[in-house]
Amino acid sequence: MTIEQGLDTVIRAEGLSKTFRLSRLRKVDALKDVTLAVSKNEYVVFRGPSGSGKTTLLNILGCLGRPSLGRIYLNGEDVTELGEEELCRIRRKNIGFIFQGFNLLPRMSAWENVSIPLIPLGVGERERFLRACALLERLGLQERVHHSPEELSGGEQQRVSVARALINEPDLILADEPTSNIDSDSAYKVLAAFASLRAKGSTLVVATHDHTLFQEVNTVYHLIDGRITDKELKKRP
Amino acid sequence: MEPFNTRRKHWNLFLTATGNLVQRTPFRSAIILISLLAILFPFLTALSISEGIKAQSKISVEEGADFYITGDAGGSSAPLSRTSIDRFQTLPGVSRVVPRIVGRAYLGEQIVTIVGMPETLIVDTLSLMSGRSIQQKGEVIVGASLGRTYDLTEGSRFYLPINRWKRFTVVGTLSPSCTIWSAKLIYMSLEDAGELFRMKDMVTDFLIYANPGDNPVVNIHLQQENRAGLPLRMQSRELIQSYLQKGFDSRTGVLTAFYIVAFALSVPLILVVWGLGSVERKKEIALLKAVGWETLDVIEMALWENVLLSLAGATLAFLLAFLWIKGFNGFFIAQFFLAEPGLVPDFPVPSRFLPITAFMALFLSLALTLTGSLYYTWRTAITPSAELLR
Repeated sequence: MTIEQGLDTVIRAEGLSKTFRLSRLRKVDALKDVTLAVSKNEYVVFRGPSGSGKTTLLNILGCLGRPSLGRIYLNGEDVTELGEEELCRIRRKNIGFIFQGFNLLPRMSAWENVSIPLIPLGVGERERFLRACALLERLGLQERVHHSPEELSGGEQQRVSVARALINEPDLILADEPTSNIDSDSAYKVLAAFASLRAKGSTLVVATHDHTLFQEVNTVYHLIDGRITDKELKKRP
Repeated sequence: MEPFNTRRKHWNLFLTATGNLVQRTPFRSAIILISLLAILFPFLTALSISEGIKAQSKISVEEGADFYITGDAGGSSAPLSRTSIDRFQTLPGVSRVVPRIVGRAYLGEQIVTIVGMPETLIVDTLSLMSGRSIQQKGEVIVGASLGRTYDLTEGSRFYLPINRWKRFTVVGTLSPSCTIWSAKLIYMSLEDAGELFRMKDMVTDFLIYANPGDNPVVNIHLQQENRAGLPLRMQSRELIQSYLQKGFDSRTGVLTAFYIVAFALSVPLILVVWGLGSVERKKEIALLKAVGWETLDVIEMALWENVLLSLAGATLAFLLAFLWIKGFNGFFIAQFFLAEPGLVPDFPVPSRFLPITAFMALFLSLALTLTGSLYYTWRTAITPSAELLR
């Protein structure tokens, strides 16, 4: 299956497959022949049971991992064969990633965690602090700016992780189970942040089971055993 | 997307590295610093003492005579007749000839070196801490260390039992700032030394001083004397200097070789220490890469961490070595360099802190920390983030 590259296509994946080799004899096919396209300002959800390949697909779309087969295009550019450093630059420039496990650095405060992507860009410490504080305030964490991750609840940690993904103002946000294991208040704030991002024109790709995240969604892809089994169009972007 | 500010970026990475060391992982930083100190401090102390001894030897040789002449008996040193002084004094280019008797004796439990010289010349040679020079037979000047050990001050009397019991009176004490070889010396008149060692009318050697620029002339005439029937063993200042240089080079070589072995053995230690929290470090690097840090950014941060740790380690080791020598007189370490029994020498241990020593400390420190971390950081940084974050 092929999908035409539209003018406003942000991501295009063609025949993506990913195989993890566990040992010489054992291997796991995490993705099988996945083809999809995501347009600008679209809100896409990957839905499927545990182990269906949602995180693997998200990692590949976010240039964090490489497919075993297939090609991936970002804003029309084929990034499949790009080197690790070029992918780093693309992540820095275009992509904000929200991890399921938060992945906050335990010895840094909330604002320091949020501002990590700005360090190699040469943004001064004061400006980093102000920008991180502004984002944390938007996510209701103004009282937690100097707290370390271990002093924050799961929901607060997730919001710090969201703030970190947004600090570079990327045009593509990829979120892996952003509301799992967090309280409803935190989930609401994360949703509000997503809505605000979309209003600004960002594209959102989320892997989730959470139905509250389906409210404003444009497209839902159902994944089972690494294959897209169904594509559900909800709203036009 | 942010406009790029390269200079600010390096400064940010430096500050992040500093924060990592001081605020985020102070325990690990402290352990690495202690490991560096344990490796570098004895090395710096030993090297500085070695350089100090070398410098004092150089001064001793430079301030000494131009030629040291003894008799030759089948290739070994032998005493010379005291009357030979007339033959040497009349040689062209010679400005002064000093007859000397040097021997060793026990004073209490310690072996001391006894130097007998004409009383009139002793006063020119020595730097006294207290007292006066020798004016008559039976008077001696003692080294500072001996004076302290046996509580010998001006007016103290003691016996030296060699060939016969002979009583001496202390009239002066050498300055502790004299070279370490003076610490256990006893100066006395030539006559006293002659009686003590039964060398009446004989001397162990002559010190020959040449007029400036006349060394080659004196050298030629001394060799002519040798050929003319007076069997001599002659050592020039240059010859002694070259012996000393060879000796010190060999000692420094042995020390360096020993430390290369110690260094090689300590690399695994540093690797283990760096390994503390390596899982956390791996995740940290993976995350940094995931949010857009390039491999070089990660390596630069790790490099700053190493440079800062190395600088701190080398500086602390240098200061500790300085304190160890100046404050604790080279406790324990000095005994490996000086023929001095006991943990603390009873005279000021000579030392010299050279820029090259500081540079070596920094180099070793850097090599140790970089070996421990840079390869690991690079390997982790080039691994796809998704694999590390899984």
